Amino acid sequence: MKRGELDVFLRLVAAEIPPARGLVPLLVLLTAWQLLAPGPSAYFPAPFEWWSAAVLLWDSGQLLPAFAATVTTFVEGLALAIAIGVGLGIAIGTSRPVERALGPLLEFMRAIPPPVTVPIATLLLGYDVTMKLTVVALSAIWPILLNTSSAAARVEPLLYDIARTFHLSTADWIRKIVIPSIVPFVLLGIRVAIPLAIVVTLLVEMLTSLPGIGALMIQSQRNFQSAQVYALLVIVGLFGFAVNDLFAIIEAIVLQRWPPKAPLRPC
Amino acid sequence: MTARRFSGRPSWRPNVAGFVTVAICVLAWEMTIQVGIFDYQYLPAPSAIVRGAGELAASGELITATLHTLESVFLGWAVAVAAGISLGLLLGSSPLLRRYSLATIEVLRPMPAIAFVPVALLLFGFSIQTELMVIVLPSLWPVLINTMGGLMEVHARLEEVGRTFRLSRSAILYKVFLPAATPAIMVGVRISLTLAVVLAVLAEMVGNPEGLGYAVVSQQQALRPDLMFVYVVVIGLLGLALNALLVGFVSMSFPAASAEFKGPRS
Repeated sequence: MKRGELDVFLRLVAAEIPPARGLVPLLVLLTAWQLLAPGPSAYFPAPFEWWSAAVLLWDSGQLLPAFAATVTTFVEGLALAIAIGVGLGIAIGTSRPVERALGPLLEFMRAIPPPVTVPIATLLLGYDVTMKLTVVALSAIWPILLNTSSAAARVEPLLYDIARTFHLSTADWIRKIVIPSIVPFVLLGIRVAIPLAIVVTLLVEMLTSLPGIGALMIQSQRNFQSAQVYALLVIVGLFGFAVNDLFAIIEAIVLQRWPPKAPLRPC
Repeated sequence: MTARRFSGRPSWRPNVAGFVTVAICVLAWEMTIQVGIFDYQYLPAPSAIVRGAGELAASGELITATLHTLESVFLGWAVAVAAGISLGLLLGSSPLLRRYSLATIEVLRPMPAIAFVPVALLLFGFSIQTELMVIVLPSLWPVLINTMGGLMEVHARLEEVGRTFRLSRSAILYKVFLPAATPAIMVGVRISLTLAVVLAVLAEMVGNPEGLGYAVVSQQQALRPDLMFVYVVVIGLLGLALNALLVGFVSMSFPAASAEFKGPRS
């Protein structure tokens, strides 16, 4: 990485982190909780107990494999959804008749809440890692697919004429014109898909007890290990926060490389 | 595409090709199963699902489950909207409060909704409170963020107009800022309704054993895929219907808000 690029990168990272003074309410709440908590409680264990529960989990060797399983499913599922969603989205969006013909079907598929795909997949595919991955990819795919196809369908018409003037092949047309104009919309779709993918990953683990943080959470709740439940809540929360920030940085970098092009036609 | 109706151009025409595709897919699904090319033990034919729907409607189970889910969606959504708008108004009108709480919101907001289920179960057991806790916390954020953002984007000149008329601080907020921010607030309110439906189903699947979400899981465990698909379709239709009702209501009561109402696809 050249020096200038590093500077840009650091500035992007800094822009994504809000000033720390904004954390005051959270710290006040946690401190009050710690001070007012009546010792070990089945409902509101003090924050320091969360910490010892997390350390215990780590020492028992359960935390790391569960976390690794969850992160792997999430990353692989999201990657699959992005690859298939963007590919199909471009294929559908660049052809007007195909877009119109598939529109209502896709809209209805999207209207089905992603969590519901879990029981369906359990019945059709059984309990295993492939099912877990399929469900996560299937839930995360809709926002990406629909954003990509609607953006690809609304590429500035003038660009068509330009492409024809230059005798661009279909491959070049997609690579040089369609993709650069839809990048911001694809990113928006991925941004919507990320929390869905996290939620569905955890849900599959909770419903099927396939190894992962979700299974661990529901298991500690069933055993009334309240401190452990809160500890896992914090871990999951931090994971969501980290993924969110990481994606914001990636988004900023990508948008700098492919800045939004000519505005799309209104739909 | 409901939004087209609001854009002023009378461009609505029935998407024949689209509905034909849906019909062909359903027919093809029915045929493969009837003929037996594709014999998945747990994939029911559409006709079996329709029969299942009749069965569930006759026994009243479908109505009971739907009403339970609707109740939790509305309660949770109402609380989220009320809390979100009030907090959003507070934060949107006070830069000081904003400075000392934005980072907290940024940390709490990406928390995955489902992570609240075990905590809610711990605190409230199998009850509607568990569902409400899971619904309210995550669907609060879109309302709060949109209200705050809407207020912050109100043009400074409007506030000066209010001052010129010697309106009090609360009158400026109520008569100037709130109407100007309504379109943004309504976008948040709509996103939050869609979210509330998903969260209610989610909470019923792993938390409170009642309603449509639990019905899907229990029919799956009972190996009745036909009945399970009935509930899946009902959940999808419920989401579409609630969304359409809200869009209709907003375009009637706040005509000015509906132009920007569509928002990003989510």
